[in-house]
Amino acid sequence: MPTELPYAADAELSLTYDELDVLRIQYQKELSQDHVTVQTKFNYAWGLVKSPIREHQVDGVRLFQDIYRAEPTRRRECLYYLALGHYKMGNFEEARKFNALLLEKEPTNLQAQSLSQLIEKGAARDGYIGMALVGGVAALGTLVVAGLIRRARK
Amino acid sequence: MAPTTGAPSQPINVKLLLIGNSSVGKSSLLLRFSDEQWLPEDESSATIGVDFRVHKMEINGKRVKLSIWDTAGQERFRTITSSYYRGAQGVILVYDVANRESYEALPRWYSELETYVSSSVVKILVGNKVDKEFSRQVPRAEAEKFAARMNSLFIETSAKTAVGVTDAFQEVVEKILDTPELWESSSSGGGARGQNTGHGGGGVPGGVQVVGLDEHRQDGEGGCSC
Repeated sequence: MPTELPYAADAELSLTYDELDVLRIQYQKELSQDHVTVQTKFNYAWGLVKSPIREHQVDGVRLFQDIYRAEPTRRRECLYYLALGHYKMGNFEEARKFNALLLEKEPTNLQAQSLSQLIEKGAARDGYIGMALVGGVAALGTLVVAGLIRRARK
Repeated sequence: MAPTTGAPSQPINVKLLLIGNSSVGKSSLLLRFSDEQWLPEDESSATIGVDFRVHKMEINGKRVKLSIWDTAGQERFRTITSSYYRGAQGVILVYDVANRESYEALPRWYSELETYVSSSVVKILVGNKVDKEFSRQVPRAEAEKFAARMNSLFIETSAKTAVGVTDAFQEVVEKILDTPELWESSSSGGGARGQNTGHGGGGVPGGVQVVGLDEHRQDGEGGCSC
């Protein structure tokens, strides 16, 4: 269920296999002709980043990094999708970094602001899981120690 | 908005799409409608791909949950944004009354609609920025006539002063609720059903590559083999 807050629409919706394939085929066709247009690359990268499959997301991020370097006019878009891609992969540090670069240039960008909320929420959730793990290990340790003590007493 | 409490019935899901040239004020209309806010031009930024908001409202005693997809107007996002047309029941076509070019571009937006959505989808033509009356380039009567010919509702608005903004959204939703074809389970056009709207975002309709290539030419970004 969508939240009440504005949120990064591209974070949760993915393309179907066939739809992504349309973008991939176009990209590979141009690649084989040694002339890939920015637009084709951009579209394919976008489709990859939207995918729920991690390898796709990794490839998408790599393509956006290329475009970022090669096309100064597409930097703001790349920063956004780089942040989104890293967010989806759970790389919250990286996501934060790219999103911060975008926010630095456009402090009132509402899309970047809502993505920032998502990233922080994800990072916090990770933190809780980490704490729970540490807590769990500690609890387990206590049990083991208690068991050893009990056994030693017998 | 606070959710209505105690009502057991599910709200009706409605998917709306905002389209039109860049800088005509699509995001500003959405921000005014959903948050009652407005950002001055130098603080607002061009939408990247798509943005999305949920807004709940009550119309004629019916609870409605609007999913509003705000698309980037820039050519370079045309492939990306066209993938969000699927399942839309209403489309808000926006132009800037002080920018003739944004009005002249409307036939292209309409032909794109023809490609991607069923003909029963409710359309409203919105002439935004009437606060710039002094530099108006599109007479109201002319646009009104065009809207009628395109089988669309028509309204003039200002996201800056809030004139007409709520009416624009309200009218389109009322008409959607009054259009039975949009609610028939066997209706044509894939996800044109209300219950599907939450998931109607993903598709890249066929032929998108062509759009991308067209844009590429128009953008004058040719020759880059990066």
